[in-house]
Amino acid sequence: MGSRSAPLEARLRRDGLWGAGRRPLCSAAVIPTALALLAASLLVWACARVLAGYGPRDPGLVQLSAREAAFFAAAADAAFPPGGGLPSGSEAGVVAHLDGWLALLPARNRLLIRLLVLFFEHATLLFPAPGRGGRRRFTRLSPAQRGALLEDWGRSRLRLRRIVFASLRTLLTSSYFASPAVLRGVGLAPLAIETPVVEADLLWPPVGRGREAIRWTRADLERPVPRTPLDPHGPLHPAYAGERR
Amino acid sequence: MSGLVRVYADYRGPVADRCDVVVVGSGPCGAVAAYELAAAGRDVVLLEEGPPFTPEDFELDGARSMARTMREGGLRFTTGYVMPTMQAIALGGGSLVNSAICGRCPEFRFAEWAEAASLERTTRRDLDPHYDAIAEFLGIAPTPDEVQGRRNLLFRDGCKALGWDCEPCARNVVGCRGSGECFTGCRARAKQSMDISYVPAAIRAGARVYTSVQVQRVCASGRRATGVEGRVVAPFTGAPGPSVRIEARAVVLAAGVLATPLLLRRSGDLANGSGQVGENLQFHPGTSVMGVFPDPVEPVFGATQGYQSLHFLREGFKLETLWAPPGVLAVRLPGSGLAFKQNLLDMRRAAVWDCIASCRRSFGRVRERGRSLQPAIRWHFHPEDARTLGRAVWALAQIFFAAGAERILPGVAGLPDELHSLEEARVLEQRPPRAADLVVASTHVFGTTRMHGDPRKGVVDEDCRAHDLDNLYIVDTGVFPGSPAVNPMFTGMALARRAALALAGRL
Repeated sequence: MGSRSAPLEARLRRDGLWGAGRRPLCSAAVIPTALALLAASLLVWACARVLAGYGPRDPGLVQLSAREAAFFAAAADAAFPPGGGLPSGSEAGVVAHLDGWLALLPARNRLLIRLLVLFFEHATLLFPAPGRGGRRRFTRLSPAQRGALLEDWGRSRLRLRRIVFASLRTLLTSSYFASPAVLRGVGLAPLAIETPVVEADLLWPPVGRGREAIRWTRADLERPVPRTPLDPHGPLHPAYAGERR
Repeated sequence: MSGLVRVYADYRGPVADRCDVVVVGSGPCGAVAAYELAAAGRDVVLLEEGPPFTPEDFELDGARSMARTMREGGLRFTTGYVMPTMQAIALGGGSLVNSAICGRCPEFRFAEWAEAASLERTTRRDLDPHYDAIAEFLGIAPTPDEVQGRRNLLFRDGCKALGWDCEPCARNVVGCRGSGECFTGCRARAKQSMDISYVPAAIRAGARVYTSVQVQRVCASGRRATGVEGRVVAPFTGAPGPSVRIEARAVVLAAGVLATPLLLRRSGDLANGSGQVGENLQFHPGTSVMGVFPDPVEPVFGATQGYQSLHFLREGFKLETLWAPPGVLAVRLPGSGLAFKQNLLDMRRAAVWDCIASCRRSFGRVRERGRSLQPAIRWHFHPEDARTLGRAVWALAQIFFAAGAERILPGVAGLPDELHSLEEARVLEQRPPRAADLVVASTHVFGTTRMHGDPRKGVVDEDCRAHDLDNLYIVDTGVFPGSPAVNPMFTGMALARRAALALAGRL
């Protein structure tokens, strides 16, 4: 026992706390115990930060977890807030689109996107949002803080940070533009085109289907279709039809 | 039709076949080679990992389209310098989803290749007959004014005001309607992508086409390739199916610059006596600038890439117009929140133009990523090449203001989001951006199985035949000794045609 613990032992003996068979308290035991308590506290805090407080998972989603969906919803509305003459991220159905798009990706890319979400959600620990509580996870920030944080990432001097932001913005923007209302709103909805039948259309069916799905015959090759330049103000593709700006 | 084509649903068990020539990859180079060999009376099998697409399969939604037609869902990127790069996986390869630009490699670049790679008969004059034959077959012609749309014609006007050379892009398109949808599949069926041009012609000439077949190994014995082995794979998911084995008197690899080297390395480091397989990777990194005009441009109408300027080709960059799914273009717009939305609303008055740089100092390499057939791509962007691209951005800015733009959005980190005059834009000239400041991407790639007159320094000879094997040919753009300065597809096809005719003569 070191000399520094001697007064403590004397105090314990005086107070009747130094019992037979009891191991003496010493600094060598206090430090590991304190560290263990600290680690446990950190673990509890990290679990609470990462796992707790998210709402139930939307049963309509296939790929996204409740946490991921909450993140994308918050990020989409930060990137595309209500107002400004265009739908908000939520109104454009960004989360549902992302869910469907993720299903098309290879497993490795899905994993990378999940890691991107996890990182961005908690990157406020490294790069806090402005204002009070700026180190809370992204989904717990106020809408104004989320918007300011995205702006900050996009203008960072660190290229790596800008790349992370660009990756997130790519996901959000391409999903936002999947909305016919958005495309009509910006005046960029695709135009209607009558597709002619070509020789190749008699050779194979649509992807993943059998030959019985080939619905064209040689007679269809002769079907006349317009070959004139499109009119930018002409009719829209049926899937995007609606009121134009 | 005298040949046949098999799709995923046709496979019921292991596939075994025998032929004169097996061609791996149905992109522009492989399709041309397959057709020429079949037309010359050779028994040809053409293998393609991707499925054939019909207009019913096209997705106008850019994200979903890329996820279905591009390898790794369109999310492939380089390390070293992080840059997205896209390679297609479909019958017809990249031609299904490219903008159809067909540019002939300039004479000066052929001369540089000849000197650097000890080539004797790979000049513009040598290849012109092949360019001509392909141009006639595909109907390659300059984009007509009536389908240019205002966003392309403004580029022309800007170039002319500056006195810079410009021209309508020659494209393999017949009857363009100006939908601007080249990158998601041409609904007008005007683009003569390989799946509706050379591949059906090859089938007519007797070729057998197996789609959804992933080649995993080239078989060889001594100095001779004996065929290929692989698997049927499901479209989009890549789920493995029955085995495939094709025996052949000659093997032609056109799997692409990033796949062919991996295939060779997995096949016992085949054709790699030079040690150059997978090395010398080069790109044409490109970046774009948006300009906003006072009046509506209606960019939804017009050829995807209708105009170009080769004025600065010798300085190392090419300028061109660009359109893509709006969601892809919008990613680079500055601002967030309502300011970002305002920029989206301004897209109707905007044109997007881009530049690509030859980047002759920037190299990389491709290797296997674990046990997969996906590549690990490492590439470095040389600072001098980045400066060249920066000069190209400055050139675009000048064209925009000469054409009457009210402002440009340069998309360069560290600069203002918007530049409102030529004077303001001079910051691009005075403070050339560094590599880290630019947002670049690339689909043009070459060099990983380069052609060289010296077998110790290159993988193939001038007929695209492997130095180490007597009957193995590589005909994708990996054989380029360096950057072709312009879009690579046409030159790749010309080299493939020459190689196919040489091979047909030897069988």
